[in-house]
Amino acid sequence: MQSLKILVVDDDPVTRSLLTKRLAKDDYQVETAASGVDAVRMISHSFYDVILTDLMMPGGVDGIGVLETAKENNLKTEVILITAHGTIDNAIVAMKKGANDYLQKPINMDELILRLAKIQNLKHLMKNASDLRIAMEATEQASSETIQNLEMTVADLQQRMTAIRSTLERGDLPADERIALALKN
Amino acid sequence: MSLMTPGNFSSVTTKEPAASVPKAVPKPFPGIRNAVKITPAEVQLFSKYIYGLCGINIEASKAYLLETRLGKLLESERCDSFTTFYYKAKGDTTKLLEKQIIDAITTNETLFFRDATPFDLLRHKIVPEMIDHRATTVPNGSPVPLRIWSAACSTGQEIYSIAMVLRELLGPNHNYSIKLLGTDISDAAIKQASYGAYNKFEIERGLPQEKLHRYFSPLGEMWKISDEIRAMATFRKFNLMESFSSLGKFDIIFCRNVAIYFLLEDRIKVFNKIADSLEMDGFLIIGSTESLTGVCPRFIPKRHLKSIFYQLK
Repeated sequence: MQSLKILVVDDDPVTRSLLTKRLAKDDYQVETAASGVDAVRMISHSFYDVILTDLMMPGGVDGIGVLETAKENNLKTEVILITAHGTIDNAIVAMKKGANDYLQKPINMDELILRLAKIQNLKHLMKNASDLRIAMEATEQASSETIQNLEMTVADLQQRMTAIRSTLERGDLPADERIALALKN
Repeated sequence: MSLMTPGNFSSVTTKEPAASVPKAVPKPFPGIRNAVKITPAEVQLFSKYIYGLCGINIEASKAYLLETRLGKLLESERCDSFTTFYYKAKGDTTKLLEKQIIDAITTNETLFFRDATPFDLLRHKIVPEMIDHRATTVPNGSPVPLRIWSAACSTGQEIYSIAMVLRELLGPNHNYSIKLLGTDISDAAIKQASYGAYNKFEIERGLPQEKLHRYFSPLGEMWKISDEIRAMATFRKFNLMESFSSLGKFDIIFCRNVAIYFLLEDRIKVFNKIADSLEMDGFLIIGSTESLTGVCPRFIPKRHLKSIFYQLK
């Protein structure tokens, strides 16, 4: 299973470093952004499976801003917000805007790892479903071409048969002429 | 894909179910789920029952389908066998269990713009042709009627895809009286279609990002169809095994990937009723892997680019 590509967004260098080390230990690919502004720039250039972002950040783009950009860019990106105690209401607003989850500070690393494992599992299932879909579409397309060609051929043959029958049943011509005319058809 | 093969009618129509009630499978370890198994006699019983409810044909070899799709209902109804569940469902005068069985057994596989070709066909061929033709038959100034039916609309993606095409083709102010009807046998599907909200899995399938932002708005975890598109469609529960006379006539009918679940004799009936419900110059679109050969000679297939549509002879 391909490991998730994660973007950690936090203006605090200590938190960034702690998260990066812990996530790298579990073989996740981690990149960091020191501000919401940096994050927005990075998101527009590269796809991340998960963005782990602080909710409150200075510099004009906060966690909600990062979330909105991420979702506009690609709905498949999951966003987990990190909130300080007392900002739960904001976290709920973020959830309504499509955040996958939120974690309260101080971050419980075991909890974070569990959440990421769940996201990874879900993405894996979605990949399976999408592979299945692609395989089904390919099969469907190939069979539809065959079926539609047959459908047109059968309709054409039926039309010819009807014309031949009506020629053969004509009362105004002798049999040999009817047969000759039918064969010409 | 198909749940049936034409010609095999015996599994649902001829044999009588066994009367014996099998004993529940004992649970060896408490807490470990041990799903109730279905016996061959019960497969017959349920195939016949489900066929009667909605015309869906389940072959004996598809017993697992009954186990996986009805298992949860069995559990929530605390039935220890399919026979017990059968009699409970039959005896339920509220018909709630019956509805739940239909919801569970029907396949709601659908997506926005499923197989893009019919929608291209609609946009570039059918609607322009229909409008040109109608313009000569409708008195000047009166709105031109355009009635479209999605005969197995599932959770609404097909009819909303049609609505989006029409909105883009005709613009917001037009002189057409558009009626889009979506019908399905499943109450749950109709309910979702009518509400018009989809989760991200449903949205990610088939819907271009540009259309998502144009016609949907986020609603919590879901995306809701815009009021303008929603207002174009009506939905109702409808069983294709019944008479179509209450539905009226249509200019365009979509009946895709539903008849594959029916017996050949029922497919013949359904497409004949569709022929009766279609205007003389109307269009029928069926699933891309379906065929009407040997089913309904009243229709003639016509090709346009990469797709086929049907018209009355």
